[in-house]
Amino acid sequence: MHTRGAGDLFHDRLFMLYLGTAPSEISPILKTKALCALAGALLVAGKASAEPPAEKIDLKQFPAETVNEVVVPVPSEVFAVLEKLGNPNWRAELGPAKTFPATADRAQDALLLGTVIADGFIAVEAEDSERVKDIGRNVLTLAEAINVRKSVVARSNSIVEKADARKWDAVRREFDGALQDVNQAMAELNDEQLAQLVSLGGWLRGTEALTSIVDSKYSTERAELLHQPLLVDYFSRQLSKMSPRLRGKEIVGDIRRSLDRINPLIEKNNGDIRPEAVAEIHTITSEVVGRIRSKAG
Amino acid sequence: MRPLSLPSRRAAVCAAAFLVCGAAVLHAYVDDAMSFAYEAANPYAEKGWIIREDAWGGDLGEGDKKAVTAQLFRGNSYIFFLGTDVEGAKLRVNIYDTAGNLAESKSWQEGKFAYAEIKPGATGTYYAVVEVLSSPEERTGWALVYGFRR
Repeated sequence: MHTRGAGDLFHDRLFMLYLGTAPSEISPILKTKALCALAGALLVAGKASAEPPAEKIDLKQFPAETVNEVVVPVPSEVFAVLEKLGNPNWRAELGPAKTFPATADRAQDALLLGTVIADGFIAVEAEDSERVKDIGRNVLTLAEAINVRKSVVARSNSIVEKADARKWDAVRREFDGALQDVNQAMAELNDEQLAQLVSLGGWLRGTEALTSIVDSKYSTERAELLHQPLLVDYFSRQLSKMSPRLRGKEIVGDIRRSLDRINPLIEKNNGDIRPEAVAEIHTITSEVVGRIRSKAG
Repeated sequence: MRPLSLPSRRAAVCAAAFLVCGAAVLHAYVDDAMSFAYEAANPYAEKGWIIREDAWGGDLGEGDKKAVTAQLFRGNSYIFFLGTDVEGAKLRVNIYDTAGNLAESKSWQEGKFAYAEIKPGATGTYYAVVEVLSSPEERTGWALVYGFRR
């Protein structure tokens, strides 16, 4: 689809548009100037309507230009596909109701917050409004522990309100929004690294649920959802760039090693992820999520 | 760290002020571009598309391109919404797979907005290539958001 070019307009009409007068009413010098300007405008319009996009590009031409920041998908992007491929038992994935109190460690609390938000997405899939509301309140407790309570109060209230009304798409948006609010608030506090831990916690818990569902009823289509080398690489890079204080934490070290183990399992065979690899990723993510939650339980 | 001499301090303060102002300006027009990207996405949200709250943004000169990476899942449909706050600027966005092949089902432009829609043939990494086709400004702020449909 192309935009309509300025060249489609009639010459005199263009003069009227450009100078607010008809060509016969202006001097030859002005006419020349106007024609030059018009030619320039047509050139720009010509470029704007441009050729169709290239069918193939060399991605190597972008190395320095490629944005390293990755928009981490929310769990519901994956869960949406799982839902189409079968009828997952979301309540089983959610497990028994449990609230996670804050620990004395902000890094741990950031990771914990991520896992709890991911639980929120699972509870939405299960359409369990009571669990969603509990999780919404738990999000607030953990947000307080990492000094971003103020930023997520409105989201938490909205999650509770929309879960009561069973407006599930709206609740999904609120959980996504809660993640972004936390990110933004932490950026303002120069705590971006903690924000990355929130995203990472969410991804680990989401992947734990995903692998559990795929493992329970394996198909290549379901397993393909685990083909996420970009994200594993992104999280590994983020962890390696963290401050020595954060990198020195036992839980962060555990996660780095876990990602190193997951990486070859999901990169193999261009997305053809075998059942044993799914089971192994599940074991790895369950262990690490368990460790994130152990101090809070 | 060695303390700076007064002229060096002045230069450093000026440089810092320049950087802060530059960053603030960039931030401001990316924020503006972001509101246009969401404006482009709004009608789709009303049709049931789930628009992500996270986004990419930056600024580019005329003719410049930038590739941003995204993880997409086969089974979903996606639309990328590109917005700019620069009046008269023409931008476009196209989606490529990891082999560099054009992977979108369609792309189009409407004024300050550009769109690309894709139903991924495989789960994995994709590249959204943002391009400023023409602009009256030296640098054009842009923001890109995406939405998916269940």
